[in-house]
Amino acid sequence: MRALAIPRRAERLFRRNPAATLAALWLLVIVIMGLVALLSRYDPITDVHVGQAELGPGPGHWLGTDHLGRDVLKRLALACQFFVAPGMLACLVSAAIAIPAGAIAGFEGGWIEAGIRWVFTVVASVPRFVLLLLVLSIYGDRLYLLAIAAGVAYAPTLAEAVFGRIEGLRSAEYVLANRAYGVPSWRILWVHLVWAASRRLVARHLVTLFGYYLVLETTLSYIGGFGVQEPMPSWGNMLAFDWGYSAWYAPQVLAPVVVLWVTIVAIAWVAETLGGEVADA
Amino acid sequence: MPDRLEISGLTLRVRDRVLVQDASFQLRAGEVLALVGASGCGKTLTALSVLGMVDLQPGVVAADLVVQVGDEVHRPWQGVLGADQRRRDQAFAPVRGRLVGYLPQDARNSLDPLLRVGRQVRDAAALRTGNADEDPRPWLRRAGLPDPERVEQLFPHELSGGMAQRVAIAQALARGSRFLLADEPTTGLDPTVQRGILDEIRTLARDGIGVLFITHDLRILPGLADAVLVMENGCVVERTTPLELQSGELTSAPARRLVEATRRVAAGRLG
Repeated sequence: MRALAIPRRAERLFRRNPAATLAALWLLVIVIMGLVALLSRYDPITDVHVGQAELGPGPGHWLGTDHLGRDVLKRLALACQFFVAPGMLACLVSAAIAIPAGAIAGFEGGWIEAGIRWVFTVVASVPRFVLLLLVLSIYGDRLYLLAIAAGVAYAPTLAEAVFGRIEGLRSAEYVLANRAYGVPSWRILWVHLVWAASRRLVARHLVTLFGYYLVLETTLSYIGGFGVQEPMPSWGNMLAFDWGYSAWYAPQVLAPVVVLWVTIVAIAWVAETLGGEVADA
Repeated sequence: MPDRLEISGLTLRVRDRVLVQDASFQLRAGEVLALVGASGCGKTLTALSVLGMVDLQPGVVAADLVVQVGDEVHRPWQGVLGADQRRRDQAFAPVRGRLVGYLPQDARNSLDPLLRVGRQVRDAAALRTGNADEDPRPWLRRAGLPDPERVEQLFPHELSGGMAQRVAIAQALARGSRFLLADEPTTGLDPTVQRGILDEIRTLARDGIGVLFITHDLRILPGLADAVLVMENGCVVERTTPLELQSGELTSAPARRLVEATRRVAAGRLG
């Protein structure tokens, strides 16, 4: 019964919003590639074949090779591991901090609200990118550190969103009615206000944060210094590394830009769909 | 001693304004006690005080509420007069819902708009039994909703006013409340639906639930209420029966005024 219901629901979703469904499928592929790449044993040294440098697209190399003779498609897929798992970690960190804090601030009000919002305002007052560069230069350039820092840096935005939603519903008629029915406060807060009323909002913010982390990682890797370093691939450093060896329109050069662009657009679509639709779960 | 809900000396004040003055009444299991009076006379505040839901400062300044079910006796107002919401919530936790349920006037807005009806009735049953996967359908059926398989899948905005009120009744049934405070549950419903809800409430009383029925509509009282309390300006001015109300044997002026106004509206003579 349930197993049958899922494809039917997916079909309905697709018919209602084909763009967002395709976008979600693309993200699913990226996430699976990222997780599989984590498990793969990729040796960047033995992957170098100087004799096969700068090959065009062909049956052996669908997107050709870079100037060290490495398969571009394979490296694009491998690069997913450097933002998929860390991006999810950033979401986890942000959610773990921001949802309880925002929810409690919104529900309790008073000095608890004032204290929690003060802390988040202090964090939010430092520009996010500067904060992250600061963390990396002090504590060293580690991807998981960057992920945790990005999660913390995004937490004020998410917490403020959750806070606003819950504060607005705190005195709603159905909340008072449930109190009169003897529903315990923690249940009203977590079931009715956080789960039922805020989960789409939270999902949209987490998807946005994932996109933010992707841009952050590829930007740092493109600039160099921080982020993913050669010979390990990132969509950012692949673009920088092969620049100038082929024409700008060669698939080797264009491919990282295109997948990055498509992924960012997909994330935006999914986030917008999550934000704009009424509850359907 | 039979099950009873008894409040005595209820006095509600905000600054120097007295909203309810020394109201007392006793509600027994299986009885429908109507609380009538004009809008703003303190009916709803009286009901909310029974649940400890009055969020006014200083609010309830005097009240002795006794809720007795079997050997279990609660006096939740003791020690929390003028206390903050958290302490009141604690004191009233064993009473709210479990012993004393609530039927709101606006049942549709009193349901969580983002959860399906079945889920909300199931949650009410789960609060009673501690078992998270209760079946909501028997309760929906007992509240007089045909086709509970369909209703449990609906969201509150898909319900009519009468259906929403029946869902509220289903919640109270699932919760197992021994007493029910019904705050104008039929206001705004058409006469046919109104009749159905009133029959439902009468059935609840027959099954042993004590109902405090708040209304300003005297016409619905015959056949519904066993006794009637008339309130004016925060005071309970008379205890009577629907029959006496109809025959006009009333001692107090406020009760006579209320009956007279109802007659004039019913006869289409205004002013």
